[in-house]
Amino acid sequence: MVRFGLVIAALTLFGCEGSIALPAPVIAHPGPGIEPLQQPVARLHLLTTAQFTNSLHDLLGADVVVSEVEPDVDQDGFASVAASQLAISPAGVEAYEKAIGGATEVAFATDAKIVALFGCSPISVSDLGCLRKALTTLGRRAYRRPLTEAEVQRFLSVVTDIGTESSDAREGLRYAIWAMLESPSFLYRTELGEPDPTGRLKYTSAEMASRLAATLWATGPDVLLLDAADKDELSTAAGVRAQATRMLADARARAAFAGWVDDLYNTEHLASTIKDTTLYPSWNSSLRDAMHEELILRVDDLVFSRRGDFLSLYDARTTFVNDQLAAHYGLVSPSATGFREVSLPDATGRRGLLGGGALLSSNALPQRTSPTQRGRFVAEIMLCKSVPPPPPQVITNIETSADAGVTLRSQLELHRQNPACSGCHTLMDPIGLGLERFDSVAVARESDHGHPIDASGVLDGAAFQSAAELATRVREHPNAGPCFVKKLYTAAQGRSVLEADTEALNTLSASFAANGRRADQALIDLVSSDAFRYVEPQAR
Amino acid sequence: MLRGVLAAGATVALPLPRLAGMLDGNGLAYADGQKLPVRFGTWFFGNGIIPSRWNPKNVGVGADWALSEALAPLLAVKPWLSVISGMQNKVPGLYAHKSYPAGALTGAQAMAAGDVQLPSIDQLIAKLNPATAFPSGLHAGLCNTTGAGALDLCCSFNGPNQPNPPDYSPTSLFSKLTQFSTNTRATDPSLLRRKRILDAVNEDAKALRTRLGAEDKSRLDRHLTGVDELQQRLVSLAAPHVCGDVTDPKVAYPDRGDDGVITKARNQAFAELLVFAMSCDVTRVFTYLFSSAACHGSYADAGLDNVTFHEDYGHRKSPRGSEMATEGFQQGVTYTMARLAELLERMKNTPDVTGTLLDNSAIYITSCVADSINHGNTDFPLLLAGKAGGAFKGDVHVRGNDDSVSRVPFTVLKALGGTATSFGLDEGRVETGVPELLKA
Repeated sequence: MVRFGLVIAALTLFGCEGSIALPAPVIAHPGPGIEPLQQPVARLHLLTTAQFTNSLHDLLGADVVVSEVEPDVDQDGFASVAASQLAISPAGVEAYEKAIGGATEVAFATDAKIVALFGCSPISVSDLGCLRKALTTLGRRAYRRPLTEAEVQRFLSVVTDIGTESSDAREGLRYAIWAMLESPSFLYRTELGEPDPTGRLKYTSAEMASRLAATLWATGPDVLLLDAADKDELSTAAGVRAQATRMLADARARAAFAGWVDDLYNTEHLASTIKDTTLYPSWNSSLRDAMHEELILRVDDLVFSRRGDFLSLYDARTTFVNDQLAAHYGLVSPSATGFREVSLPDATGRRGLLGGGALLSSNALPQRTSPTQRGRFVAEIMLCKSVPPPPPQVITNIETSADAGVTLRSQLELHRQNPACSGCHTLMDPIGLGLERFDSVAVARESDHGHPIDASGVLDGAAFQSAAELATRVREHPNAGPCFVKKLYTAAQGRSVLEADTEALNTLSASFAANGRRADQALIDLVSSDAFRYVEPQAR
Repeated sequence: MLRGVLAAGATVALPLPRLAGMLDGNGLAYADGQKLPVRFGTWFFGNGIIPSRWNPKNVGVGADWALSEALAPLLAVKPWLSVISGMQNKVPGLYAHKSYPAGALTGAQAMAAGDVQLPSIDQLIAKLNPATAFPSGLHAGLCNTTGAGALDLCCSFNGPNQPNPPDYSPTSLFSKLTQFSTNTRATDPSLLRRKRILDAVNEDAKALRTRLGAEDKSRLDRHLTGVDELQQRLVSLAAPHVCGDVTDPKVAYPDRGDDGVITKARNQAFAELLVFAMSCDVTRVFTYLFSSAACHGSYADAGLDNVTFHEDYGHRKSPRGSEMATEGFQQGVTYTMARLAELLERMKNTPDVTGTLLDNSAIYITSCVADSINHGNTDFPLLLAGKAGGAFKGDVHVRGNDDSVSRVPFTVLKALGGTATSFGLDEGRVETGVPELLKA
């Protein structure tokens, strides 16, 4: 039963107006006695699972096996935001202990491996030359700064205790490294800044090295970055730009950007997407994986090979497919091994990222499409509009009908005649209906319940007749560029956007537009901006 | 030096099966005077119910009332069951699948990101009796698919920004618990070493802590609580274990399905592991996320279509029509209660120091909404199972008059020794429980 009084009150409360939320600092209930944040503040950033795993591989060798740790949590669309907010549970601490212990066991399995890691293998607990070298060299990369002498002594005492008890200095060193990597100084990026004449806090060069490595590589700094920090070269925007430019030419940048794309487009949801295989027998895990690969290849090719306009992906006429995906899309493509670039024919209207299986399938229901979900995806993820959840006590299944001969469009139009629903659904459904010529698993189709599909609509005043035209309207939308920048910024900063970020975002959006809307350039502008180099102190 | 370090300062209760011979003459406490602990669990399922098919028709005790259609699978444990109907979740439904579960678990509104403002009931109870190998409890989950937000995959929170995510892997939980099963091995030297390096971690963290603001200090302190608990556990592990064997899910349930999937076999595996943990006194608190708030997982194991239970059945969006979806949803709720029964019956059949494990436990069962179809907040699903060591009557159906849901967890908190004079915050705050549930 729909309770109209409550609904009207709720709609008023939610402010369902559909304007772009740039910035959107609304945290309705931050907690008892906690005021909503107005200024970005310095904080600890827990390593995301990717950063943790990559760091262990960098520190201990690519062959170490890293067991599962507490999974990332998504806040405001990104794992990095939650990692800067949440505390690790006791079970999570135990998982770290197990993962790091297992990794050190592999890394210390033979004397040769120890020598490969440190350039020496300690012959006794008195072999301070080797032990200090091992601890300070690995410690500098693990802590993303040089160790203090107190820290060196702390870990040397571990070596002494355990090396003596086990009569094996190597075992002592292994446990000391285990301790170092279990320490919050490794598990959290400690970027607290130092007082600056501007009155704000300025991140130190070492902290900037940490921020750059986490943002651009999803790992810790390499030696070159730490050397630059030691020379204080990262205290200037120019120094940061130079390192960022170097880093973006490295393969680690491609992997990190793919991780950002996974967060942005919520491909974890794709992995758990259920389809009714009696209706869609082609759906299986390899098809799902191919859709994911298609998405990543498109972005990687555009950003790192072509270095082109990121928004051109929104209505691109080419994509990457393997044989299975080509057949699924009905594309005529010569059989070949692996993925290759193909042109998309005009006939189906399949264009750009929105025409890809990853986004179409993960934003649909198991037995049918969902224009509401697809429209919400475009509104929230590509245009940064704020779409509230359904008000309480509202039955949300009005769009469902078992009647043959009724298209989803006509059901949704009925839905939007209900004033309780129209406010928010108007933000979503007309967009999603533009994608109705693709079924729940992204196969092109012409009819719904025996009726020809009308894929026309209007996006904020711009009319479209098909999915292809919708894709272009999304690319041309004034929110598209600023929204992309906002998403990059949110992930890089590891926090939700605040009012105080408005000027920085406007500046970055303007340079994004002026520089051919290149994602790599946007990243360089972002990490070298004052907003990324300065911060406010946290309340004590 | 390391030798002997573990024995010093050890305050943890060593894992032991409960035996009547350990009691004082009255059978009400251990011979050393310690009060018999009551075990607590939160058993959470997503997507709510159909109130008309959940609520028993009559109120009363014993033969006065009969189980409803949805609760029928709980027949074997009816004498231990308390049904509380007619209660209202008073927390405003700002974010349907976040506000109401936060209200039922913490008594307070959720934050926008799905986080909470107050600790959940299990963590309040865990602090009453922390001297076990897992002081913050064990947290397991069956279905790892949600449509609401990642934090909605949790039903245990130590406070704001401090979730206890569930472990979806029976083999992972087994690997933790099997260390406490009976064995004859010599003391593993790595236990001493692992405890030693955690001392170094603590020292390192202390130096870092002085540089942090208030929020980060709180986060770091939570991390160090985990370090302390791990050290406490290493102490327990170094002691002889006489808890018997714990069932290996790989052996007993080889075809149980992937982690995160709803199957009877996975549920049974978890039930056996949790019963072992409580019976052996490895922990006195657990949470079990049968399915998350707004669970989008499939209930194919219940005989339903391989679709999202939340959308296709809970919100009746199946293209096969709302009548089919309604019956399917009810079938899913009944299936869920049958899985709950598997845990409760195992507890009923597990001897404890006096009576059975179910006699000495309080299990709080609730969901993320009341009526699934409209995110309802009245007639909220609330059950208690177990006698809480004699505190609860059991076999009772109490019906409220839109009274606050918070009164139920508050009743449990008080029954288990909590001294708080209220539970919850703002609209969800209460100062009274449900006295009709308590034994006179």
